[in-house]
Amino acid sequence: MPKPILTIKNLTKTYGQNVIFQHLDLTVNEGDTIVIIGPSGTGKSTLLRCINLLTRPNEGQIWLDDLEITAKGTDEDQVRQHIGMVFQNFLLFNHLTALGNVKLGLTKVKHMSDEAATEKAMRELSRVGLADRADHYPGQLSGGQQQRVGIARALAMDPRVMLFDEPTSALDPELIGEVLEVMRQLALDGMTMMVVTHEMGFAREVADRIVFMEKGFIVEEGSPDEMFNHPKFDRTREFLWKITELYGKKEKDAE
Amino acid sequence: MDFGQFLSYIGSGTVLTVGVTLIALPAGLLIGTILALLYVYGGKVAARAMNLYSTVFRGIPPVVLLFILFFAVSKGINLSAFWAGSLSLGVVSSAYQMEIVRGALLSVSGDQLMAARAVGLSRLQAIRYVVLPQAVRLAIPPWSNEAAIVIKDSSLVYALGVPEILRRAQLIGASSQRYLLAYLSAAVIYFVLVYATTRLLNLLEQKLSIPSNP
Amino acid sequence: MKKYFLLAVALVLVGAMLVGCVSESTSVLDKIQKAKKVSVGTSADYPPYEYLDDAGNKTGFDIELMAEIAKRMGVELEWVDMPFDSLVAAVAGGKLDMSISCFNFDEERDKIVDFSEAYYTTEDAFVVTSAFTGTITKPEDAANYKVGVQSGTVQDGWLTDNLVTPGLLPEANLSRYERVDQAALDLANGRIEVLMGDYVPIQALVAQNPDLQVVYHGVLSTGPINIVLPDGDAELKAEVDRIIKELQAEGFIDQLAVKYFSE
Repeated sequence: MPKPILTIKNLTKTYGQNVIFQHLDLTVNEGDTIVIIGPSGTGKSTLLRCINLLTRPNEGQIWLDDLEITAKGTDEDQVRQHIGMVFQNFLLFNHLTALGNVKLGLTKVKHMSDEAATEKAMRELSRVGLADRADHYPGQLSGGQQQRVGIARALAMDPRVMLFDEPTSALDPELIGEVLEVMRQLALDGMTMMVVTHEMGFAREVADRIVFMEKGFIVEEGSPDEMFNHPKFDRTREFLWKITELYGKKEKDAE
Repeated sequence: MDFGQFLSYIGSGTVLTVGVTLIALPAGLLIGTILALLYVYGGKVAARAMNLYSTVFRGIPPVVLLFILFFAVSKGINLSAFWAGSLSLGVVSSAYQMEIVRGALLSVSGDQLMAARAVGLSRLQAIRYVVLPQAVRLAIPPWSNEAAIVIKDSSLVYALGVPEILRRAQLIGASSQRYLLAYLSAAVIYFVLVYATTRLLNLLEQKLSIPSNP
Repeated sequence: MKKYFLLAVALVLVGAMLVGCVSESTSVLDKIQKAKKVSVGTSADYPPYEYLDDAGNKTGFDIELMAEIAKRMGVELEWVDMPFDSLVAAVAGGKLDMSISCFNFDEERDKIVDFSEAYYTTEDAFVVTSAFTGTITKPEDAANYKVGVQSGTVQDGWLTDNLVTPGLLPEANLSRYERVDQAALDLANGRIEVLMGDYVPIQALVAQNPDLQVVYHGVLSTGPINIVLPDGDAELKAEVDRIIKELQAEGFIDQLAVKYFSE
C-alpha cells in the first residue's frame, strides 16, 4: 500500500460569485508525479496555491502526511517550507544572485549557518546544472536558467512535495528542454511532484498519473496510457488531441 | 563688500541649512517608511489612516505647519526655533516620503512577496529580506528629488529666526542695500548644495544597481 | 508673507485657546527679573531702525534704545533676530518677552499682543531754503519740485509710493542721498528745491542753518512706533512705559533720532 503524502478532500474555492473549482478529491502518493492538464481558467493554478496555502480554500481539507494543513491555527510558514513551489514567471528574488536566491530560505527559515547554507545551495545548483552561474543575478540569466534556479531554490528546503505551476509556459521554445530535463531527473530520483503543464511529451513520459480538469471539476484521471490511448470521455480525447496538435507544432517550429 | 565677502557671510549659514536638512530628511524617511509599511501591509483601517495623514500633511504649506508647531503647539514646551523648524519639515517630508516608499513597495510587492512566502519566509521576513531591499533601490531616484526639495524648503525656518542662508542674505542685503548680490550669493550656495546631493545619490543609485545583461 | 502672517496670527489664536490660560497670573516681568535677562525680537533688516553694521553687529535707533531700556530694567539683553512677520506671533506665543522693530499700533495685532506707549513718533518734514519761491501747503505739493531724500528711509518709501509710482513726481526729479547732510548740501547749492526727512533731525539741521526753513511737517510715513508686549501683562507694560517716559523726558530718544535719522 503506497503512502499518501497529499490528501485533498472536497476542496472548493470561490472568488465572490465565481466558482474556481468545487468538491475536488485527489490523493498524491509518495514518489508520484501527477500531471494536471486542462484548458486555462479551470482552476489548476489555484489548486496548487491552495495546497501551498498561498490562498485559502473556502471548503474542504488538505492533509500533508498526517497533518491537516487547512485546520485552523496551522503554522502556514511551517507548512510552506515542506512544499516546494515553482512559478510560471520564475519569481526569483531580483536583488540576489542565484546562490543568494537558493540560500535565503536556508539561512532565514532553517536558520542554517552561512557556511552550511552555501554548501547546501551549491549542491542544489549543481543538481540543476548551474554551479558555474552561482554568482549571477537573475537579470544575467536566461529564462531557462532562471527557472532552474527557481527549482533549486525550492529543492533546497528538502520539501515533501514539489508543485510546478506551468514551469515552462513563459519560456522560449528552445529553453523548455533544459527545464523539463531537470524535472524528469527529479522524478527519477523519487521526488513527489504535482505539475500543471501543457507539455504532453513530458506528461506521457514522466507522469505516473494524469489528471484532466475542466471548468472546476476533475473530469478524468488515469495513467498516461489510459489517458492518451483509452480515455473514458470524449472531452478528454478532444482536449488531448487539440493540445498535442498545438504544442507539437510549436516544438517542431523550434527545431 | 564684494561678492566673496557676501558669499562667506551668507555661506556661514550653510551649517544651519545642512543641519535642518540632516534632521528633517532622515526623520521624514524614518516616519515615512514606517507609515508606508503600515499603509501597504497594515490592512484597511491603517491604509485609510495613512491616506488621511498623507492628504493632510501634503495639503498644508510647510511654513504653516512650522508656525503651528513653533508658536502654538510648543507654547508650553521649550522647543527651539531650530528644532521646531527641522521637525516640522520632517513631518511634512514624511508624508511625501511615505508616498515614495509606498510606490516602491507596491511595485516590488505582490509576486516577490508570494515567492518569498512560498519558500517559507514569514510575512515580516519576506518584507525585510525580499521586498524592502528592492524597494529601496527603486525609491532612490524619487527620493533624491525629495532631498532637493527639503534642502530648498529648509530656507523656511528663516521665518522662525534661524539665521540660515536665506535670512543671512536678507540681513546683509538690507544693511548694504545690495539685495541682488545678496540673493545671488544665496542662490549659488543653494545650487551647490542641491547639485552635490543629487550627484551623490546618483552615484549611490549606480552603486546599488542590480547587474543585468542588456 | 502678509498672507502667512495673518494665518500665523489665526493659528496662534487657536493655539492660545487650546492651551488655555496656562499660569496667566505670573507676569513676564517676574520671569525677566528672575532670569536677569530679557529676550527681545527684532528684524534687523530695516535701517536706520535696526540693521547690521559692517562687522555684522546689530545697530540702529531701536537697537540702542532697547539696550538702554534693558539697562534701566537692570537685566541682560538677549536679541533674537526674526523676520518682521514672525515677531508678533513670537511674542503672542511666549517665545519672546517683547519685540521692537518699528511697530505701528495695529488693531489686528492688538488682539493678540499689547503695545507700549509710543516711544517715538516719526513725523516727516519738508524743508526749503530762503530762496524757495514755491508753495507747499500739503505734502503732495512737493511733487511739483525737485526733491531730495535719504536713500532707503521711510521717507524715501513714502515719496516713491505716493508721488513717484502714481506719476505725480518724475523719477528724474527725485534725488536719493546716502546721508541727510549730503542732501542738505545739495539743497543749499540749489540742485534740489525740497528736502524730505524725519522731523527731529530736520529740526536739528534747521537750528544749525538759519537759511533753512520747515514748510510742512506731519505724520506721513510711519507715525507713532511702539514696543510689542505680551497680551494683558499690565506689570510689564507699566515698567516699559515708565522707562520710555523717563527717556523721553531726558531727551535721550531725541538724541538717538538725530544720530540715526540724519547721518
